[in-house]
Amino acid sequence: MSDHATAVSETSASEAIIRRAAPYRLPAGVVAAVVVGLVLTYTLGGRDPGLVTQSVVTGLLLGGVYALVSIGLTLIFGVLGVVNFGHGAMLSMSMFIVYWMTTSLGLPVYLATVVAVPLMMGFGMLVQRGLLNKLTLEGNHEGPLLVTLGLSLLIINVLLMIFGGRPLSVPSSVEGSLRVFGAIASYERMIAFGGALLVALLLTLALKKTSLGMSIRAVSANSQGAQLVGVNVGRIYALTFGIGSACVAVAGGLLAPFLSLTPTVGEEFTILAFVIVVLGGLGSVVGAMVGGVVIGLVQTVGALYLPGTGSLILVFAVFVLVLLFRPQGIFGANR
Amino acid sequence: MQKLMGVATAVLLTTTLVACSDDASGGRSGGNVDEVTIGALHPLTGSLAGVGTMMSNAAKMAVHDLNEDGGIECLDGAQLRLETGDSKGTASTGQSEAQRLIDNGAVALVGTYQSDVTQNVAAVAERSGVPLVIDVAVDDAILEQGYQNTFRIQPDATSMGTDGGQALFEIAQQNGQPIDRVSYIHLEGAFGQSVFDAFAAEAKSAGVEVSETTYSPTNFTDATTVVRQAAAKNPDVILVTGYYPDSLLIAQAVHQLNPEIDALYGIANGAFDNTSFPADAGNAATGVLSANYHFDATDERVQDIRQRFEEQYGQPMETAAVLTYQAAVVIEQALEDACTDAPAEVRDAIAAAKIEDPLLAFDGPIVFDETGQNKNATVIAMQVQNGQVEQVSPEQFKTSDIVYPVK
Repeated sequence: MSDHATAVSETSASEAIIRRAAPYRLPAGVVAAVVVGLVLTYTLGGRDPGLVTQSVVTGLLLGGVYALVSIGLTLIFGVLGVVNFGHGAMLSMSMFIVYWMTTSLGLPVYLATVVAVPLMMGFGMLVQRGLLNKLTLEGNHEGPLLVTLGLSLLIINVLLMIFGGRPLSVPSSVEGSLRVFGAIASYERMIAFGGALLVALLLTLALKKTSLGMSIRAVSANSQGAQLVGVNVGRIYALTFGIGSACVAVAGGLLAPFLSLTPTVGEEFTILAFVIVVLGGLGSVVGAMVGGVVIGLVQTVGALYLPGTGSLILVFAVFVLVLLFRPQGIFGANR
Repeated sequence: MQKLMGVATAVLLTTTLVACSDDASGGRSGGNVDEVTIGALHPLTGSLAGVGTMMSNAAKMAVHDLNEDGGIECLDGAQLRLETGDSKGTASTGQSEAQRLIDNGAVALVGTYQSDVTQNVAAVAERSGVPLVIDVAVDDAILEQGYQNTFRIQPDATSMGTDGGQALFEIAQQNGQPIDRVSYIHLEGAFGQSVFDAFAAEAKSAGVEVSETTYSPTNFTDATTVVRQAAAKNPDVILVTGYYPDSLLIAQAVHQLNPEIDALYGIANGAFDNTSFPADAGNAATGVLSANYHFDATDERVQDIRQRFEEQYGQPMETAAVLTYQAAVVIEQALEDACTDAPAEVRDAIAAAKIEDPLLAFDGPIVFDETGQNKNATVIAMQVQNGQVEQVSPEQFKTSDIVYPVK
C-alpha cells in the first residue's frame, strides 16, 4: 500500500515537472532548432566560416533592432487588441524628435532618446484617450485599425512638411566597431541590442511585479472581469498604449544613429514587426525578443543562400509555418 | 416626354463635350497666346518626396528664370506657366496625374524620377500626342516601345554601366593599378540588373573577372553581410549600384570591414555623388569614387543656378534637379523653334533640337536620336575629397585630381 502510494506520488511529481516544463518546451525547441540550423550552416553550408560568423553576428544585432521595434507593438496588440498601423509612423516620429533634439538643442543622441521617452508616452496616451478608447472599450476592432492607419498618414505627412523628404542623419556619438571572432559589430548596433534586452527585461518585470502590470495583465486576459473587480479599463488602455509608445521612442532613439531618416523610414519595419509579434505570441515581450532574433538570423544567414528578396521569402515561410502549426505563437498562451 | 428628355440630354451632353474640347484646345491654338502651360510630374509625397519636391522646385525655378528672361520671344513674349503634379511614387497615380496635366492644357511634360511611373506617363503622352521630356528615369525599356513623344536627357542604364566600367578601367590603368577582379554589389530589379549587365559585358571584353552580390532594398538596414560576401572574393575594386540609404550603409560597412581594395566605386549610384553623402558617411566617404551623370560643376551658369536654388529652397540642388531645370530649358527652346504651342509641333522641334552648352557634364550638345535618347549623355567620374564631391575625370570637367588607389 505504502509502496503503491510512493509510486503514485512519484508519477505525479514527474508529471508535475513535465507540466511545469511544458510551456518552455516549445521555446527550447525553437532555440535548439536555431542552434542546429547554425551548426549545419557552419559544417555543411559550404560557405566561408568567417562569412557565416559575420552573418550570425549581423543577424543577432539586427534581431535586437527588430525586437526593439516589436516590443511596443506586441504590448499594444496583446492588451488592447488594436492592430496599430501607426506603429511605423510613430517610430519615424520618435526618430525625428531625437534628430531635432540632437541637431537643434545639441543633445547627445542617447540623452535625447531618454527625453523622447516621456514625450512619446504622453503622445501615445493622448492618442488612446482621445481617439481610440471609445472604440476599443466597445470592442470594435476595425475602427482602431482605420484610425491608426489615418494617424500614420497624418504623422508621415506632417513630418514631410516639417523636415522634408531628404534623407537626414543623426550625428553619432559612438562611432567605431568591435571585432567578435573576426566579425564586425558596430557599437551603435550593440547598444541598440543592449537597449532591446533592457527594455524587454524592465517591461517583463513591470508586468509581473507591479500592481499596474497586474492590472494590465488582468485587462489583457479579460477586460470585463477586470472592470468588475475595480480596474479602470480606460485608464489601463491609455497607459498601455503610452508604454507601447515609450518603447517605440527607445527604438527610434537607438536606431536613429545608423539609419537614414525619411518620414517613411519606420514603415520599413512595420510588416516585419507584425510577423515577429505573431511569431513570438501576442502580448509576449519575451516572445518579441526571441522572435526578433529568430527573424534577424533567418534573414541574414538565409541571405547567404537566397540573396536579396529571397531571404524575405524565408522569413515569410517561417511566418506561414507558425500560423499553420502554432497560431498563438511561440510564447503565446493557449486560448 | 421621355423622348424629349433624351434629346435634351443628348444636346446638353454634346454641348458640354464641345465646350470641353474647346477649352482644352483653346490654350494651344498657336498665333496669339500669352501663356503656355508646362506640366511637371514628380513624387511629392511618399518615400521619394524629398527628391521629388526638389525636382518640382527646380521646374518652378526654371520657369521663373525663363519668364524673367522675356518668355517665349517668338510668341510675343508669351509667359510659361507651370502646372505641377504628384505621382505619389506610384505608376497608376502618375498616369492619372499626367492625364490631368494634359487636360489642363499642358503642351509638354517633364518627369518623373521613377522608371515604372515614367513608363506609364510615356504611354499617356504618346496617346495624347504631348511630348514628355524625361529628366530622370534610367530604365532602357522606356524608350524601347517605339514612342514618338518621349525624350530622355540623361544616359540610360546600359550606357551608364558601359561608360562607368570604361572610366574605371581607364583610371586604374592610368594610375598603374590594373584591375583583375571586381566584386559588384547591386540592388535587385531592372535598374540594378541592367546597369550590372552592361558593366559585366564591358568587364568581360576588358578581361576583368566579375562576381555579383545582390540585395533587396526593402528592409535593408544592415550591409555588413553583403559587403563581407563581396569582399570575400578578394576583389581589386568593390562596385555599388543602389539608392541613397542602402549605398550609405554599404559605404559604412566597407569602411568598418576595411577590405584590401583599391577603391569603392559607384555606378549610377544614388548616394556617392550626392551632396549630403560626405557629411552623412563621415570617414566612410573619403575617397569613394562614383561614375554618374552629373551637373557640370565647372560651368558658371550651373554654379549660379545652384547657388540661387540653395538660397531659395534651403537645400543643395542635386543633379536630378539640374536635369529637371534642363528639361524645362529644352521645352522652352522647342517652343521658341516651333513658334507655336501646338504639342505636335513642339514635339517635332524637340526631336530636331540641338541644345548647346548643356547644364550637365555631357560629351556634347543635347541631341536626341530616333528613339528619343540624348546621344551625348554620358557619365563622369567623381570622388569624395575633403568632405566634398569633386569631379575627377575626364579632363575637361575636372575640379580636382583623382587619388587612386584610395588608401
